[in-house]
Amino acid sequence: MTDFLLAVVSWPLAIVGIVFLVSGAVGLVRLPDLYTRLHSASVTDTGATLVLGFVLILQALVVFGSFMAAIKLLMIVVFTLLTAPTASHVLAKTALLTGQVPVDGQGKPLLESSEAATRLARSRVDATDAEDA
Amino acid sequence: METLVVCVLLSFLVISAIGIIVLRDLLAAVILLGIYSLIAAGAFIVMDAVDVAFTEAAVGAGISTILYLGTLRLTTDRQKPRGHDSLVALLFVVISGGLLIYGTLDMPFYGSADSPAHTHPEVGARYVEQSPDEVGPPNMVTSVLASYRGYDTLGEVVVVFSAGVAVLGILGLRRRRPVDDAQVIDKADT
Amino acid sequence: MTLYAVILIAVLVAMLMTLIRALLGPSLFDRVLAVNSLGTKTVLLIAATGFLMGRPEFLDIALAYALINFIGTVAILKFFELPDPGTSHYSEDDY
Repeated sequence: MTDFLLAVVSWPLAIVGIVFLVSGAVGLVRLPDLYTRLHSASVTDTGATLVLGFVLILQALVVFGSFMAAIKLLMIVVFTLLTAPTASHVLAKTALLTGQVPVDGQGKPLLESSEAATRLARSRVDATDAEDA
Repeated sequence: METLVVCVLLSFLVISAIGIIVLRDLLAAVILLGIYSLIAAGAFIVMDAVDVAFTEAAVGAGISTILYLGTLRLTTDRQKPRGHDSLVALLFVVISGGLLIYGTLDMPFYGSADSPAHTHPEVGARYVEQSPDEVGPPNMVTSVLASYRGYDTLGEVVVVFSAGVAVLGILGLRRRRPVDDAQVIDKADT
Repeated sequence: MTLYAVILIAVLVAMLMTLIRALLGPSLFDRVLAVNSLGTKTVLLIAATGFLMGRPEFLDIALAYALINFIGTVAILKFFELPDPGTSHYSEDDY
């Protein structure tokens, strides 16, 4: 009975996690520029880690009966949830600061020059505010 | 299943190694070297060599990437244009590589229980049976590294230490200039 | 068992795609992004492998990996950002 319940909970969650994982990876290959790829990579980093980590925690508790393993997994998940967005933010900000211009779906640049990107990275306002002003 | 995972990881290693050779941009090659170390460490873990994997991750993906980046900063990140590809060099590489592969044929199979290191009465068996009494620590690898092979470990530490000193001597520990600090403090005050 | 095997295969497929991005990636930031993403996938790979082999002790290594991955990414990016080696901070005006 326990096995059946565990399977009913684990498999759908694992499949959701795998969908996050693989779709993030596909996006990493297929999306047009750095910033969109950053977005799809963070789907993998946070979504897949969260869901698959939860599956593995369940398995650790029920199948292995190891409380310590569950705690370590929880630490991994919490740590990844804290650091992955930070790393993405640092990456995006550094890229903007060194003048990587974001493009839209047709490959048209959204900012006029790399100097504009640097200025945007150094300013505190976001892009829409800058256009209004 | 584990064999499959190891094979896939090893083919990833080949792919990234070819990428490192082909790329002309040295910064990109350094980053790919970091990826190479990460994948190698994953393969080591699947092959159950946890301590080696740990060293590979910390040194290969962490420290050596930073060292390479520092070197590229101080020199340049452009590769010198290569001259003509030498046939003699290719021949030499093929022959020495073939000899190395021929040398591995004598080695025991991966994970084989009747390899000399496991069957010799004074090595593997003795460590397994007597290391808790003779040395003490619960982890056998620790007692082998720190006691049975203590001189070897000492030599390794000396090599690593002198390498670290040499690297620091080349790269230099530059002090932060006091002038810059004064400017920053001024700006923060106003 | 099958569950861990399926997760492992998915992680391997995702790792292959990330590797492709690292090889193609026109800018250096694409490659750094690929390294960071590959690190996360390696953490998942190690965790799933430990469960597949029935030895969850591997999680220590996975935890340390997550730490190394984050620190390494930030260190590399810091290198790209600084104008020249030796200066180690930028002033408040840069924000």
